Amino acid sequence: MRSWDSMDDFEAFLDGGGLVEPDDDMPDAYREAVFRFIELHANSEYMGGLTERDWIAKAPGLTNKLTALAKTQDEIGHAHLLYMVAADMGVKTRDEMTADLLAGRTTFHNVFHYRAYSWGDQIAIAYLVDAAALASQQAVFKNCSYGPYKRILRRIIAEEGFHMRNGEELLLKMAKGTAQQHEMMQEGIDRWWWPSVQLFGPDTRPDDVLLRWHIKSERNEDLRDRFVQKMVPQLTAAGFTIPDPDLLQDPDTGRWVSGEIDWDALKAAIAGRGPDSARRLNDARVAWEGAAWVRAALDEAAAVPA
Amino acid sequence: MKTYEVFLKRPGKDPFTHVGALEAPDDDLALSFARDCYTRRSEGDQMWVVAREDLLVADPVELEMADRPHRHNDGALLRDLRQAGDPPAS
Repeated sequence: MRSWDSMDDFEAFLDGGGLVEPDDDMPDAYREAVFRFIELHANSEYMGGLTERDWIAKAPGLTNKLTALAKTQDEIGHAHLLYMVAADMGVKTRDEMTADLLAGRTTFHNVFHYRAYSWGDQIAIAYLVDAAALASQQAVFKNCSYGPYKRILRRIIAEEGFHMRNGEELLLKMAKGTAQQHEMMQEGIDRWWWPSVQLFGPDTRPDDVLLRWHIKSERNEDLRDRFVQKMVPQLTAAGFTIPDPDLLQDPDTGRWVSGEIDWDALKAAIAGRGPDSARRLNDARVAWEGAAWVRAALDEAAAVPA
Repeated sequence: MKTYEVFLKRPGKDPFTHVGALEAPDDDLALSFARDCYTRRSEGDQMWVVAREDLLVADPVELEMADRPHRHNDGALLRDLRQAGDPPAS
């Protein structure tokens, strides 16, 4: 078993590009922090998968239904992979993580605490939320010091890339569609712009251990800024507006500067006090209870000697 | 439920690569879940699924110790010898 004599030695190992593996005798603080981060990611994929599932029946046309089906499988699949990686850290079992999520004791990303009312919302999610999530995940993948997480992120990122491409396709279709479609899309953007910007979180604090221990490779504010620089011109070019009256373009640098960001909305959402938190969590509980017979059948199969 | 490890081989000359783990009640369902979780987009043309309890895992410290300096040749001595020119007449 690999071990380190002190936190200094361990941090030097991380700074040198070392990858930590599950069997290593890693410092407890590192194990705890990385576990929490992966658990949050897993919970978010799971809650995102359930949201996507709602659109399998509602998506317009067979092609969009099939895409919703594939995306649901991807998101639930990501949750599976991440829960396995998290469970192997030995902090909590999968069952404990599920119980904590459904009881509201652990958190998931702010964007899954809002309601998707229309197909325009669903496209805005695919376009804005998936892009924001992908940018964050790429920044983790780039320099991630926890081996199993880094390896599984490679796969997750590849699949999220499909989703983002699909989101842009649908957005551009709506942009070229009827006035009603355009309006529906604009409403989606209006509802999902701020939650997507807030997803990156407030400015990274100087003592953030996730940055120091090479889980995150970039500061929240840098990722958020890049998102704004990329999205504002794309949405504007497609004929949509950004729901930020204070958004300004610096005449010298050409860079876009957001208006003030409501961090209380982010905190409330993550704490389970978002506009749709209660319904979402209840949906997750209903789904979990509804699948109890499948788990019982699997347990029964496991009990039968081969 | 048992934990299984999944290995995939992409078409071509790549070796098998570990891609992740899953939980399943038995071997048949492990194969089925592995296909669902890991090969939805032709990520491999061959797959191995192994119960984690059947894997023999080496200690990384012992792996490091299996390396010995005399098995390497970094070319430094050869470089010196090549630069030294003709051997002295005996």
